[in-house]
Amino acid sequence: MISMKTGAWHQCGDRSQKMVVEELQTGKGVGVVLSPRDLDYKGATKYASEYRSLGADVAIDPQFHTPSFSNPHLSSYPTHAFRMSIANLVGIGEQQLSAFAKKLEEENSKLGATVLIAPAVLYEAGRADVDDLNRRLFRVSKAVGDSLGVPTLATVFLARSVTQSDAATNAALSSATSGNCDGWYFGFEFPDAERLPSNKDSVVRFCRSTLALACTGLPVLHAFAGPMALLSIASGARAAGVGHFKNLWRFDRDRWSPPKQKQKGGPKKPPPRFFSKALWGTIVYPDEVRQLGTSLQTRVLQPSPFSMPVGQGLDWDRWSASKHLVSVVCDEVAAVAALVQPVAAVSHAKRVLQQAVRNHAAIAATGLRLRDDADAYQAVWLAALRDVEKACAQDLNYLELLRQ
Amino acid sequence: MPFELPIDLVRKQYPELEILCALTPSEQKAAFKARDRNGNLLCLKIISPDYQIDRLQRELLALKGIKHPCVAKFVEYEFCVDESGEHHHLIEEYVEGSDLADHLGPELRWTVERAAPFFRDFASALAALEGERVVHRDLKPTNVRVRTDGTPVLIDFGLARHLDLPSLTPTAYGARIGTPKYFSPEQFTGTRRDIDCRTDLFAMGLMMYEALIGSHPFWTPGMSWDALCDSVCTSEQCFGREGFCDLPPQWQALLRRLLAKERIHRPSRASQVTKVLEKLG
Repeated sequence: MISMKTGAWHQCGDRSQKMVVEELQTGKGVGVVLSPRDLDYKGATKYASEYRSLGADVAIDPQFHTPSFSNPHLSSYPTHAFRMSIANLVGIGEQQLSAFAKKLEEENSKLGATVLIAPAVLYEAGRADVDDLNRRLFRVSKAVGDSLGVPTLATVFLARSVTQSDAATNAALSSATSGNCDGWYFGFEFPDAERLPSNKDSVVRFCRSTLALACTGLPVLHAFAGPMALLSIASGARAAGVGHFKNLWRFDRDRWSPPKQKQKGGPKKPPPRFFSKALWGTIVYPDEVRQLGTSLQTRVLQPSPFSMPVGQGLDWDRWSASKHLVSVVCDEVAAVAALVQPVAAVSHAKRVLQQAVRNHAAIAATGLRLRDDADAYQAVWLAALRDVEKACAQDLNYLELLRQ
Repeated sequence: MPFELPIDLVRKQYPELEILCALTPSEQKAAFKARDRNGNLLCLKIISPDYQIDRLQRELLALKGIKHPCVAKFVEYEFCVDESGEHHHLIEEYVEGSDLADHLGPELRWTVERAAPFFRDFASALAALEGERVVHRDLKPTNVRVRTDGTPVLIDFGLARHLDLPSLTPTAYGARIGTPKYFSPEQFTGTRRDIDCRTDLFAMGLMMYEALIGSHPFWTPGMSWDALCDSVCTSEQCFGREGFCDLPPQWQALLRRLLAKERIHRPSRASQVTKVLEKLG
């Protein structure tokens, strides 16, 4: 059976391409998801080849989540002619679908994609027409994947209207999983627009959705994971998309809408954030780091190949901080994904979060209040994982049975 | 009302076959056990004039594409026209043995050692259907034959649906096709869009439960449609029964998944069930 690589996948965003090369060169990550929103076809072709030469799997996310959106980058791709409103897409006939399949094949073939991500629009509650459309898009995409000899992932992105209730989530997942795909490319739109989610019910629902997909026995690639990769891999995903920008840490449909006017104010060059495994979150460097005592600093500042100036108390730039974040998350994803037993993966993630909660408590005890609400979610995630472990024990056992 | 034909009439109409006996007819088909000139045992199905020919053609399409030792082999389809109208018949392999229904009951509880290979083969047959994008939609103990060597054979594809072809039934009613006692939740409450390969897996789960526990998980004699619908769609009581709790945990886990109310919580594919049963066997 053809399969995809498990572990961290680089989710490309704006100006990510060179950074991804550096990460792959240092052994971080196993795959790359190209973003046509952020890179034109020519550039994508060039980088896809480079990524493959570094041993990575390569896929392109066709980004049909909001299919009517376009920009100059997107318009350079062969499938661009099919970017249109959902109402129009729903009405396309078999002949147009065949034409679309040809363009999809051309695109993926030129890029040398080793995994095909099937286009699909966002699953909305009560939209049977969207379910049908996605089924039709998947059918032709699977034929393209088979023709190219690569696995085809069905895109399952759940919109806010779905993720607000268990019933709607289950109904959408039941509908979205009726095809004969080789894996899932999964996205979850959280009800609240936080940097990282801190509503326990939503986090539990996210974990349960991931686990439900994992229990299909097919690999799950959590598309926009960032630090949330810890949760998704613990919930049974085999791969997670990791990017440095915060808008790559969760699915945000606003990325596929016309840009808003930039707000004035705020620092022109915000200081870098150091992503600490010990906090499972960021701390501002050097401002906040300097306010920690030596013992806490030692605990928090765990190095990576991109963090040398931090250890020496030197200036550190934002790009290096971004590379460091991706590097740390990639390492952790690889460590959890290597655990075959699902219960062991949950335990591992819980240990990381327990440690983070303890360290945040120690920082709070010093009177320091971290910026960016950097300590707002770890305890919630830990509680959510405990809930999932208890409520979904049978699912975890079944997943273990599948992986034995 | 079942469609029945006198056996003497059939013997006259099909002189090339030795008609051995009548089999249980359905509303759409009269069925006969027959033997051809080479000594092969066959099942002759004569189609009722009221039957939708479109549906018959679907059945043929479903059967023709599937080649699996646990799926009844399609042999021949013919139709002719005479002064009395169109006559259609199809001939399938006759499976020597008995109906699965004869092997189920409170006094006939199966061991897991017996169930594992039987349902592994059953799931393997369903995987062959999936490969052709076909859903049987009417799996029940009388549509599963048990060969004399104990292996299962799926028969009667009269309600089968090809998932990539338009439905012959209006969307709103397309789910309520089959036998209610072996309906899945989506057959009770969904539309035809909700019917997929996991619908057949639910039916297999019902039969697996009956084999291992000795009773149907949701149905009791005299139950009304509404009560059965409610039980299938919401009840979890069957997982608290003594016989169920005595099963090894992995069997319990498998049955719970096969009988999950939401399709997302069922195994996504029959081949997955085959693999699990290989491990359990």
